[in-house]
Amino acid sequence: MNNFFFKIGELFSTPGYINSLLHGFLLTIQIAYFAILIGILLGTIIALVDTARPSKWLVIPKFICRIYTTVIRGTPMALQLFIMFFVIFAIKGFPSIITAILAFGLNSAAYTAEIIRGGILSVDKGQTEAGLALGLSRKTIFMKIVAPQAIKNIIPALGNEIVTVIKETAIVSMVGMYDLNMAAKDIGSGQNMASYIVPMFVAALFYLGIIYVITFIVKRIEKSLRKSDLRAEK
Amino acid sequence: MNSDTDLKIKNLRKSFGSNKVLNGIDFELKEGERVVVLGPSGSGKSTFLRCINWIEEPTSGEIVLDGVRITEKNVRKMRRSIGMVFQHFNLINNLTVMDNLTLAPVKLKLMKRDVAKKRAEKLLKHIGLLDKANAFPASLSGGQKQRVAIIRAMMLSPEVLLFDEPTSALDPESIGDVLSLIRELASRGMTFIIVTHEMGFAKEIATRIVFIDKGKIIEEGAPEEFFNHPKTPRVKEFLKKVL
Repeated sequence: MNNFFFKIGELFSTPGYINSLLHGFLLTIQIAYFAILIGILLGTIIALVDTARPSKWLVIPKFICRIYTTVIRGTPMALQLFIMFFVIFAIKGFPSIITAILAFGLNSAAYTAEIIRGGILSVDKGQTEAGLALGLSRKTIFMKIVAPQAIKNIIPALGNEIVTVIKETAIVSMVGMYDLNMAAKDIGSGQNMASYIVPMFVAALFYLGIIYVITFIVKRIEKSLRKSDLRAEK
Repeated sequence: MNSDTDLKIKNLRKSFGSNKVLNGIDFELKEGERVVVLGPSGSGKSTFLRCINWIEEPTSGEIVLDGVRITEKNVRKMRRSIGMVFQHFNLINNLTVMDNLTLAPVKLKLMKRDVAKKRAEKLLKHIGLLDKANAFPASLSGGQKQRVAIIRAMMLSPEVLLFDEPTSALDPESIGDVLSLIRELASRGMTFIIVTHEMGFAKEIATRIVFIDKGKIIEEGAPEEFFNHPKTPRVKEFLKKVL
């Protein structure tokens, strides 16, 4: 046990080790951040197309969206990552971080789309009908009535998806990228500390830390959105 | 334009897939009339009401308000003249009572915000709910919600009001509050169509009763006539059960 704490001290006090870990952590954050951004943007578009009222212009886009979410959600993330690395972007010199961001972003978009779609569909139809009866446009009804209520249902699940993406980025170590997970393995190897448990324990703390912060922020947002559910006093 | 007739409905039909809900309804409503629509559940009463303002788009037939036929193009504008009150109130959950009242008039550029607010305050005061102006719907009782929903429909000064079972989701005490508000609108000469199961109220408030069964109007007439001397066996049977 003493050895464990000693090794932790060693990890934090050896610039080479701690810098590797921080570099890995930075890569993890970068991939996750941009992937989540793509996921939310593309996911929103897919969800809007999917929930839009049927029209002849949307028949093909709706079909494409359905195929997209089915394929992405029906195949392993690791396989999608391999396809991106070894098939689609198997171009010499193409920055691997971009490939990774796209792989996770396109994957997350499918899940985010389902989350947003569910959120929109969970808003009572009567809310839309009230807007229609008042002569409001579809756009106003969506922006002022449906979207604000849908967001309340979306935020908790979206928070969950963000956490999932952050953790899932750990598989980029499978294609040799130096993320937090890979850094932990590298530092623990025989050429370095010759102890996997310590760097992996610290890496776990890093993952936990960032996820804790995100969960906290999501909870705060959820709470502020619950305003109209509470008994309002002025 | 014929100013004496507000609403003319010709051969209105509505199907949901293969399910034919309305099978050719002809109906006229003149200014100042208060029509109560009766009928067994599933007869198409609500669908009839919801087709009038195109919340459900009719499969065929025409709806003409003040000489103007409602079409896909003009429906939004026409809806301003047709207020609607729902069974489940449908107040906008994410907006305060005040915003529920002012959203449409302000968004449709019919009133300036402060004018809309003044009018809303006046109406809220009238129904004794001015203190709830900044409350969210979730904090109101059913009866309060429905009364707010009624004045929300009145904000646009519609020519016709449609009530779709306005008291069916309320407790007995709230029903009284909502009915007396409708009664008051009646005494002010408001034109409306109401689907209700409150027979006593129907008798009291209606200038005409319309009975719908299987998507068709099978009998209509003045309340005394309808309740005391029903003509068709179907209405006789219905009245025997409900009265």
